[in-house]
Amino acid sequence: MHEVDVRAGLLEPNAAVARENRALLATRGVYAANLMSAPGSGKTSLLEHVIPALESRHRVGVVEGDMTGRADADRLEGFGVPVHQVNTGAACHLDARMVHHALHDLADAGCDVVLIENVGNLVCPAEFDLGEDDAVMLLSVAEGSDKPKKYPLMFRRASLVIVNKLDLLDRTDFDLAAAVAAMRDVHPGVGILTVSCRTGEGIEEIAAWLEARIAAKGAGPRAAAGTGVRG
Amino acid sequence: MHEAAIALNLIEAVGDRLAPEALARVAVIHVRIGELSGVSADALEFAFRCLTAHSPLAAARLDFEPVPLAQVCDACGRGSPVRDLVFRCPACGSERTRITGGRELEVRSLELAEEGEAVHA
Repeated sequence: MHEVDVRAGLLEPNAAVARENRALLATRGVYAANLMSAPGSGKTSLLEHVIPALESRHRVGVVEGDMTGRADADRLEGFGVPVHQVNTGAACHLDARMVHHALHDLADAGCDVVLIENVGNLVCPAEFDLGEDDAVMLLSVAEGSDKPKKYPLMFRRASLVIVNKLDLLDRTDFDLAAAVAAMRDVHPGVGILTVSCRTGEGIEEIAAWLEARIAAKGAGPRAAAGTGVRG
Repeated sequence: MHEAAIALNLIEAVGDRLAPEALARVAVIHVRIGELSGVSADALEFAFRCLTAHSPLAAARLDFEPVPLAQVCDACGRGSPVRDLVFRCPACGSERTRITGGRELEVRSLELAEEGEAVHA
């Protein structure tokens, strides 16, 4: 019996494509956010509010990840933005390879902002880097405030956690202060915003957060027009 | 439940390292799984068994080394374990800590039987 050294990262094949995606986004001046949550937390509803808030200043494209069907894509196509449906089949998450062509196509379509709606799942998507600029996660009040320590990898990875369905706060036992404290335990410095997609409260703040991130990357109409080079 | 995808990467990593005729001599595959890797050793083992049945790796055994979460503080420089998923320095209270262990998900090494030596599952 003898030992052979290997030291191969088991997520490396995905990480390699994610690096390609990130390079593509950088070259083309595109900002991308990877939106993740449990099923039913309101990812599509959030997009329905955020797209109109961004589209006066940006060409927004969407990548819709679902196991089957194109119900969400149909909802969003009503907004007149290019939507790229990715069906994962049996897979519980998007990976970098699945979104690679969609990112190419949306960049070719002139998009400077790409919002990727991942498959609803708090576990697996957390592990697969898509090459995005920001991982944004949604936690809805209906899910309960104990989630940050049950799904630490997701909360650790997110740059921004959006607490949705705030209008249900007084009808549930959701403890917002406890949820925020647990998020800060797991990920000190994580951005936390609250929203109600039902009433529209909080959408402006989310749009402003995204605008700041888009500007920080130097993406946007000016960069896309080739005038974003700083002297 | 994405362990099947991870198991495929694992099989590929072993295949990349060895000549095809050596695969049947793999007795043990040492895998490091961090506490915060998001992967279940049981599910990975199950996927690996399903995917390698009737293959040269059918008799190979997976050996898992769990890696606990650890952090180092950028403010005071001290290292510490991460308890109860609180990423904060227990020594000085700073939130400026970095993970130094617990994110691993890798094939570390293989144990290979010598030529002619039998491998038993």
